[in-house]
Amino acid sequence: MHAQRKMRKPDIKMVILGDMNVGKTSLLHRYTERSFKDTLSTVGGAFFLKQWGPYNISIWDTAGREQFHGLGSMYCRGAAAVILTYDVTSWQSLVQLEERFLSLTDSANGDCIFAIVGNKADLTDACARDVAPKAVRLEEGDESDHLECPTPPHTPTVHKQVMREDALALYNRIIHSKVLEKRTSPPAEDVCFETSAKTGYNVDTLFETLFELLLPSIICTQTQVESPTVCLEDYEEMKKKKPVCCT
Amino acid sequence: MSVKAFELVPAVEWEQLTAEKARAAVECIECCGEHLYVCTSDCVLHHFLLEARTTAKGRHTYRTQKLLQKVLNSKKPAAELKAASALDRLVVLCDAAISLVDMLTLEAVPSGGAKLRGVTAFSVNENPVTGDAFCVEMAVVSARRRAVHICTVHEDRVQVLKEVVTPEQPCALAMDGYFLCLALPMQYMILNYSTGVSQDLFPYNSQERKPIVKRIGREEFLLAAPGGLGMFANAEGISQRAPVSWSEGVLAAAVCFPYVVALDEGFVTVHSMLDQQLKQTLSFREGHVLQDFEGKVLLASTKAVFVLVPLPLETQIQDLLASRRVEEALVLTEGAQRNIPKDKFQMLHKRILQQAGFIQFGQLQFSEAKEHFRRGQLDVRELISLYPLLLPASSSFTRCQPPLHEFADLSQLAQGDPEKVERCKHFLIGYLREARAGEAANGFREDVDTALLKLYAEAGHDSLLDLLASENACLLADSAPWLEKHHRYFALGILYHYNGQDAVALQLWVRVVNGDLCDPTCTNLFQYIVDFLSRCPNLDLVWKYADWALQKDQKIGVQIFTKRPISKELLNADDVITYLQKHHRALLLYLEHLVLERKVQREKYHTHLAVLYADQVLGLLSRPADTREHLASARTKLQHLLRESSLYRVQLLLGKLQDSELLLVERAILHGKLDEHDTALHILVHQLRDTTAAEDYCTWASAARGHAHRRRLYHHLLGRYLDPDMPGGPRAVEAVDLLNRHSEVFDAVQVLKLLPEAWSLGLLHPFLCGALRASVHACRTTQVALGLARAENLQLHRDRLKYRGGPILMSEKKGCHLCHNTFRDPECMCLPGGTPVHTHCAAQKLQDTPIKRRLDRTHTSNHT
Ligand SMILES: Nc1nc2c(ncn2[C@@H]2O[C@H](COP(=O)(O)OP(=O)(O)O)[C@@H](O)[C@H]2O)c(=O)[nH]1
Ligand SMILES: [Mg+2]
Repeated sequence: MHAQRKMRKPDIKMVILGDMNVGKTSLLHRYTERSFKDTLSTVGGAFFLKQWGPYNISIWDTAGREQFHGLGSMYCRGAAAVILTYDVTSWQSLVQLEERFLSLTDSANGDCIFAIVGNKADLTDACARDVAPKAVRLEEGDESDHLECPTPPHTPTVHKQVMREDALALYNRIIHSKVLEKRTSPPAEDVCFETSAKTGYNVDTLFETLFELLLPSIICTQTQVESPTVCLEDYEEMKKKKPVCCT
Repeated sequence: MSVKAFELVPAVEWEQLTAEKARAAVECIECCGEHLYVCTSDCVLHHFLLEARTTAKGRHTYRTQKLLQKVLNSKKPAAELKAASALDRLVVLCDAAISLVDMLTLEAVPSGGAKLRGVTAFSVNENPVTGDAFCVEMAVVSARRRAVHICTVHEDRVQVLKEVVTPEQPCALAMDGYFLCLALPMQYMILNYSTGVSQDLFPYNSQERKPIVKRIGREEFLLAAPGGLGMFANAEGISQRAPVSWSEGVLAAAVCFPYVVALDEGFVTVHSMLDQQLKQTLSFREGHVLQDFEGKVLLASTKAVFVLVPLPLETQIQDLLASRRVEEALVLTEGAQRNIPKDKFQMLHKRILQQAGFIQFGQLQFSEAKEHFRRGQLDVRELISLYPLLLPASSSFTRCQPPLHEFADLSQLAQGDPEKVERCKHFLIGYLREARAGEAANGFREDVDTALLKLYAEAGHDSLLDLLASENACLLADSAPWLEKHHRYFALGILYHYNGQDAVALQLWVRVVNGDLCDPTCTNLFQYIVDFLSRCPNLDLVWKYADWALQKDQKIGVQIFTKRPISKELLNADDVITYLQKHHRALLLYLEHLVLERKVQREKYHTHLAVLYADQVLGLLSRPADTREHLASARTKLQHLLRESSLYRVQLLLGKLQDSELLLVERAILHGKLDEHDTALHILVHQLRDTTAAEDYCTWASAARGHAHRRRLYHHLLGRYLDPDMPGGPRAVEAVDLLNRHSEVFDAVQVLKLLPEAWSLGLLHPFLCGALRASVHACRTTQVALGLARAENLQLHRDRLKYRGGPILMSEKKGCHLCHNTFRDPECMCLPGGTPVHTHCAAQKLQDTPIKRRLDRTHTSNHT
């Protein structure tokens, strides 16, 4: 059974893009393994298969290194959602999203959903640091981590370089430049997150929200095989239902 | 850490390839079944037969036999060889031209059709679309042309089917169906030559690094990507597997599921496609060819050819398990599912799961171990057998061969750490419990239950008793010594009982109660034995141990008899009574049980009990000191029985109690039983002088016998009170009290006659009021009843008339039914059915038939 699950074809694909070291691998690790540890630099790309209810969602982790840049659009091909990740302490990482990574998403699906994620919020925001212990188990002895974040986590003096407004603005520019229909794209407030892979802050929310948003497309791809007419109806139905399950 | 996935086995040695002095190097190879073709730099084409051998030690070797060699008709050695076995042809790319060579003779075959010149690369379609078995499809790239030619190779000719234009000149290509996967100078792309649709994959500088394009399966390709990555891409241009990370200098790659093998300047690397991990690195110098031929991976240095023989999957998995890499082993196993027949896979998978479970068990990772045992459907006995002595001696179990783990037993596993042993035992208890609950224990319940019993006994676990009390298959022979060893005698008794050996069980328990044995886990064993005996169908045992129990405690001991289920009673009550003669207290309790609880209606028991009660009371009376309370309660019991029962022999008891001056109430009751109310009341009023008792007596004695009887008794009592002959004179006060309180019972008229004239009206005021009120009340209720009865009668009349029909019409013309004369006046009678007749006719008729008179009640009615 386990084996079959592993072998099953994914129903839908998600891709995480962003500059190296913004914490893409850590985010995915936090979500799938529910822990935070020092990750090795991702070589090329990696992917996880996430069982979400009856659906299999493949989530691709990409390498931010310039060297692997060319592979980005290949990973994005056929993606139903793209998570553009930056580091809240690095303005440059946000700029990179627009300059380098956005173009890669041209190969994604036409109705692809975008999310903008500012990671490492624990370094700048108190609320992201102290997450309810129930939801997240803080890893002990993260001494090595202090090398990366020069300040002790208790007094976050790291300057927050990217404000949420910047991310919202970027999102709106993306929607505009992609000439995506306003009607089908979710509003910026819904898909711009500030997260911390380290504390788990907002990580589940990020993925679960995206899965919810993707549900219509998942059902669509599944039913397309059988009868495309049903698919349209389903889609309408899902849209009507959506506010209910989101609240 | 690494796995040994492949072994490098030499196939063709240097000496077999070159003449003594010449320095030829291997240029390219082709392998087709057992045929191996090697072209060396001196333009010689060699043909070998490659036979796989397995040595006695299980090692793979190849025996290579040279069949032929031939100098090519060219100044340059072949760059690529490809066998078309269906045509017996070898496609040779040599000096930028494609030619055909006979596979067996190595003779060049003159080929007609198109001449393909300036060829830089070609690829055979392993997923052909033409459907012609006697031709091979091929895509050919020519120098300085931005195009690919699709051709077919026949036995004697090559035919160009189509020219497909490409954006740049391709440098390498692979083909699958209609899909061409091309390495262009600056990128890879996929092209469907049938539809012309193309899909860019990713950028790659082919000038900098040699591109690699390999078809690895249906519509899936493996490509060398920047940064030394091995990328997978399917025909839609989507990557469905995560890339593997090679070195930058990778020269060639091949797939041998589930591994990707790659060659660079110094090494052969093996990555798993399942988890991307590098699994094995083999040092290999001067390697320059690595290719897979129908699943066989061949490797060539300039001087020799090797086969990369995959180690059997199971060996690889076992290697992983041996180094405790459970997850990887499972991934490898599960990854192989598609390549192994279903039943074989299931067996393998189960076994690996079980082994994985044992590894985790050894590391005390119990929850993971349990999950793997469950999924691997482990025979629980494998686990039990780790614990010394747990399996019953009679168990037929032998451990699985080859063994699932390396542990001899638990102490070896725990390395003597008692805490670890304890944790393992705790785990096993939980595991066996679950196994019992499910189906995992089917077929060897005895082993499982016995093992669990032993664990419980050892741990002093409470559940031991639950186990024994519920349905179980614990083996007695094996469990008994164990339970004895741990002093669980009570449990052992229960086990004996479960096995039908009640006698042994009782013997054991009795020894515990007597203090010969000690079982600290049970407290009230005596009570348990008594209860046990009370349920015991074996009467011999009951009699055997009853004496012991009664000697120990009569009150509890008698429960052997009193608690017996009535429905299936085998004991005769008389026997029990006879038996209990020597146990006085028990006898009393037993009789109480019979008479009061079970309400057995037999004179014998009632009399016996009454006599015992009476004796008790009399006994207490003879010892007047400090027995007041006892006496009171004994008397209450006696009185209760005397009052409530009507079966005992009154005279007998009367005789017993006759002489006692103290037991007046009892005597009165007895007289009452004989209907000697006068005597009874006499005793109560004059001897006992207890008016309340007297009144109670009246109430009791008349309880079930109606108002009249009651009245009579009360009159008796009144009579007694007023009796002038009694010593002390009439008891006026009591009499007045009685009358005033119970005015409703008395017949006032009679009472008034009895009462002395002198009594004042005021004295009897409540009585008289009551009597008067009662009389008036009776009068009125009677009137009401009368009225109601009348009303009812009227109602019935009405109903009757209603049912009889409408009014009866009379006229002078109507004739009487009886005399047939007409009516003269309106008076008439009706016969049943409403027929009017003359009154006198009806009377006449009734007189004539006196019997019918009663039946034919006619009604007189007046109609106008
Ligand atoms: N403080 C903090 N550090 C993080 C967070 N996420 C990742 N990091 C660190 O950032 C570094 C890069 O993370 P990684 O996941 O490899 O980034 P990637 O290159 O985008 O995959 C690592 O040293 C992580 O420990 C976070 O939420 N908070
Ligand atoms: Mg990473």
